[in-house]
Amino acid sequence: MSSLAANSIILYLLVAVALVMLGLYGLLVLKDPIRRLIAINIMGSGTFLTMIAFARRQDPPDPILHALVVTGLVVAISATAFALRLILAARESREAAASGSTETEDE
Amino acid sequence: MNDALLSLVTPLVAALIVLTGPAMTPRRASVVVLLGSALSFVAALLALQSVTTSGATQTLNLGGWEDGLAIRLRLSPLSALLLAFTALIHLLAGLYARFSRFTSGDDFWVLSAFLHTALAALWLSADLFNLYITLELIGLAAVAMVALSGPKAYQAAADYLLLSLAASMIYLLGVVFLYSEYHTLDVIQLGTVSADSARTRLALALITAGLMLKGALWPLHLWLPAAHAGAPAAVSALLSAVVVKGPLFILWLAWTEVAPADLAREVGPMVATAGMIALVAGGWAAMRSPYIKVLVAYSTVAQLGYALMALGLLMSWQIPQMHIALWLFVIAHGLAKASLFMAAGEMQGTLGTRRLTGLRGATQTVPIAMFAFAVAGGSLIGLPPSGGFLAKWVLLEPILSQPQNWPWAFGILLGTLVSAAYIFRVVVLAFDRATINPPDTRPYLMGHWLALLPALIVWGMALLGEQLIGLLAGGGV
Repeated sequence: MSSLAANSIILYLLVAVALVMLGLYGLLVLKDPIRRLIAINIMGSGTFLTMIAFARRQDPPDPILHALVVTGLVVAISATAFALRLILAARESREAAASGSTETEDE
Repeated sequence: MNDALLSLVTPLVAALIVLTGPAMTPRRASVVVLLGSALSFVAALLALQSVTTSGATQTLNLGGWEDGLAIRLRLSPLSALLLAFTALIHLLAGLYARFSRFTSGDDFWVLSAFLHTALAALWLSADLFNLYITLELIGLAAVAMVALSGPKAYQAAADYLLLSLAASMIYLLGVVFLYSEYHTLDVIQLGTVSADSARTRLALALITAGLMLKGALWPLHLWLPAAHAGAPAAVSALLSAVVVKGPLFILWLAWTEVAPADLAREVGPMVATAGMIALVAGGWAAMRSPYIKVLVAYSTVAQLGYALMALGLLMSWQIPQMHIALWLFVIAHGLAKASLFMAAGEMQGTLGTRRLTGLRGATQTVPIAMFAFAVAGGSLIGLPPSGGFLAKWVLLEPILSQPQNWPWAFGILLGTLVSAAYIFRVVVLAFDRATINPPDTRPYLMGHWLALLPALIVWGMALLGEQLIGLLAGGGV
C-alpha cells in the first residue's frame, strides 16, 4: 500500500470539511433534538474522516491516528446511545405533563 | 506520583464497589463513596507534599511506552492542588447529600464517584487526546447527574448533552489539526515545537471555541443556567464548583504551553475582554433573575469572567501573578459556589418556593442557611479576608502598578459592583422581617450547617494565603 497522492488527500479533506460544516449548520438551525443529534454525528464523521485522510499522508498509514479514530468512535457511539435515551425520556415526560394538564383543564 | 494515582483510583474503586457490591443500599453506597473521597483527599495532600518538597514536576508514561506513543500523566504542584481541591469539594458535597433532608437521588453516589475519577484524570493528563476522553467522561457523568432531579430536568439534561457533544467534537477537530502539523499529542512536546502558522491558528481557534462552549465561558454560556439550576442542590454545587473548571484547565494548557508565546500575546486581550463582558453581563442577568438557583447559576457565568480575565492577561503579559490569580479564583469560587448552591437548595426546600421573593424574612426562618449564603457571597464580592479577596488582590496588583492598565481595573470594579448588587439583593430580602414567608417544614439544621462549611473554608483560605501563593508561584507549571 503506497501513500495517497496529495490531490486525493485534499479531496478527502474537502469532503470532511463539508461534513463538519453541514453538521454545524444543522446543529444551529434544527430544533428537533434527534435531528440535532444526527447533525452532531455528521460532524463527528467529518472529524474522523479528517483523521483518516491525514493518516494516509505516509506509508504505511499512521497507526496513532487510526487508534484515535477507533477510540473516538467508541466514545461517539456510547454518547449517542445515552443521548437518544435521554431525548426520548424528555419527550415522554413532556407529553405526560401536557396530557396531565389538559385533563385537569377538562375537569 | 503514586499518591496522585491513588487519589485518582480510589473514587473509581468506590464507584465499582457501589455498582457491583451485594445488598448495596443508598446508605451503604454513601458510606463507601464518602470514604473514597476522604482517602482520595488524603492521597492528594500527600502528592502535594511530595511534589512541593521535591520541587520538580513528575511524569509517568502509562504502560511504559516511549515518549510520543505513550499517554503521559504529569503531576505538577498545580495539578496536585487541583486534585486536593476536587476531592475536598466532593467530600463536602457528599456530606451534604448524605445528611441533608432533601435527597439527591439514589444514583448520586456512583455518578459523583465517576465524576471525581474523570476530573482527577483530567488534572493529571498531559496529552491532548486523553484530555478529550476525560472531557467526554466528565460530560456524560455531569449530564446523568443533572437528570437525577427527575423527569422535569430531562429536557435540560438532553440540551446540555447535545451541546457538550458538539463542543468536544469541535475540540477534537482542533486537536487533529495540531497533530497533523506536529505529529504529537503530548502537551510538553508540542510546547517545544509549536510555531505560528495558519494551521496552528485554526487548530487553536477550534480548541478554544470547543472549550469555551464546554466551560460556559462568555459568549457561549447560554446552556449553563438551565442545567445548573435544574439539578439537585448537591449536584449543582459539584457542577459549578469543579466541572466547569475542567475545560478552563485545558484552555490554560493550550494557551500557555502549546501555543507559541507571540500568538498568545496577540490573542490575550480578546480573551480578557470576553472575561470582562462575562463579568458584567452575567452579573446583570443574575441581578434580574426571579429564581434563587438561576441567580446563583448566572453568578457562575459572571465569576468565570474573572478567571477568563486572569487567563487573558496571563497570555498577553506572561507574568506569574496572573497564573496565581487565575487558580486562586478557581479555588475560591469553587468553595463559595458550593456553599451558595447548597444554601439555596436548603432555603428553597424549607421555604417551599423557588422564587427569590420567597426569601422574605429568611434571616429569621432559616438563619444558618441564609448566613452561609451571605458569607459565601462575601467571598464572591471579594470582601477581605476571604479567598475571593485574596484572588482579586493578586489580580489587581500588577494591573494597578501600570497607569495605562486602567480599563482592566475599571472592568474589575464594575464586576465587583454587580456581584455586590446581586448578593445584597438577596440579603436585603432576607432581612425584610415585616412580611415573612413562613417555612413549609420545620428546618432540619444539619443540612444548613453543612452548607455553611465550604463558606467557612473559603474565608479560612486567607490564613493559608501565603502558602497557596508560594505553591502556585513555585510551580509555574
